[in-house]
Amino acid sequence: MNCEQIKALGADYLVQDLEAGASREIELHLASCAGCRTEIEALESAWVRLGILADTDPRSRVRARFYSALEAYQDALESNGAGRWQRLALPSWLWNWWPRRPALQLVLGLLLFVTGLGAGRWLSGGQKASGEIAELRNELRDMRELVTLSLLQQQSASERLKGVSWSYRVEQPNSAILPALLETLNSDLNVNVRLAAVGALQTFTSQAAVRKGLVQSLLRQNSPVVQIALIDVLVQLQEPQSVEVLRRLTQEQSLHRSVKQRAERGLRQLS
Amino acid sequence: MSPAADNTLMLKVRDGDLGKFSFLFERHHRTLFNFLLRLTGNRDLSEDLVQEVFLRMLKYRRTFRPDSQFTAWMYQVARNAHVDYFRKHKNEAPADRDAEKEDSLVEPVGPAPNPEQQFRKAQEASLVRRALARLSLDKREVLILSRYQGLKYEEIAAILGCEVGTVKGRVFRAVQELGNIFFELSGEKAS
Repeated sequence: MNCEQIKALGADYLVQDLEAGASREIELHLASCAGCRTEIEALESAWVRLGILADTDPRSRVRARFYSALEAYQDALESNGAGRWQRLALPSWLWNWWPRRPALQLVLGLLLFVTGLGAGRWLSGGQKASGEIAELRNELRDMRELVTLSLLQQQSASERLKGVSWSYRVEQPNSAILPALLETLNSDLNVNVRLAAVGALQTFTSQAAVRKGLVQSLLRQNSPVVQIALIDVLVQLQEPQSVEVLRRLTQEQSLHRSVKQRAERGLRQLS
Repeated sequence: MSPAADNTLMLKVRDGDLGKFSFLFERHHRTLFNFLLRLTGNRDLSEDLVQEVFLRMLKYRRTFRPDSQFTAWMYQVARNAHVDYFRKHKNEAPADRDAEKEDSLVEPVGPAPNPEQQFRKAQEASLVRRALARLSLDKREVLILSRYQGLKYEEIAAILGCEVGTVKGRVFRAVQELGNIFFELSGEKAS
């Protein structure tokens, strides 16, 4: 083997994809050619150094955003004909003003009002301003929670997905938001909403109740894809409580094949 | 799930069973995110592009043929989405600038090292990111696909639509150039 042939096989040498014979010939050449030896060593060194960049996880909002978009896409496909028919019944300008979700629209109106009030007080200044701003911030947080809870109870899956997205805006949720998200995860009829809830709850896994809720939910789910998403989150969290649940899951006779594979891999990752 | 199972799922999605797309998202979104993150060096942008790629695959699902490979198709869509983004945002900071700023991309591997080891690891990771960002896009792509995404040269050739020999040559030159960049960057640091 000559120097040109060594260069031609350099890329295969890096990924160790060589026949035993070729590998031996390269070693023989390297033993006698200092130039090629230096070059291959430099390549190997650069290749190894790249290993410092390990895989990392995207933030949980990626999941919620994707499932909202998927649901909206499915909705648009399904209502392609119906939407046009509805719009024929009323003039379009009147249809746009019609309060289709009065409770939600009222809450959103109030949220806008509180924001405007806050901006007004901040602009007018005064000694009490900082205290009032803190108070308004709390009111704003309460209002966001109210919007989230209200949206999570809507009939339309798209609206409930908006509710899940709103939960990301609540920095320190009160006691009502997390149980509502867990309830959504366990009971929502729409798989996309449940998957988005997995993403939203992932943001709050510093709380023991949320971690416990995610573990318990694994046995309650009937959708394989939700089970897979939950296993991913629990393995990523290295949650010890999930080991027992994963073992129980793998013993279920009717378990979907891909869930079983994921659960078994999860157990290996956690052990 | 095997590559063949991915292809079967995507064919079902193509034929109208959109619910099956969730399986493909759950299985591949993390891998795709890491590909885009190493390509762009920007976490926010990579998350946006993950969304864009999956929505494009949904929109153009009818172009997925029975003989298509899902993973290859996903990377093709991802490359196009990445190129389109930078075509639209020509005036924004290039990827290498973002990569230099993004310290949060350092991911320590294995058990928690001591602070000094951690610091050295972070320095090394920062250097590798800067070196990667200095490579031309075509070299960076083949290197990421082979070194991190674990794809064989034949698979990369199918994604790029070129000969296997071209991929091997490009990988060889990319690693060679990377070695020189490492040397330059380390030299800058020492001086």
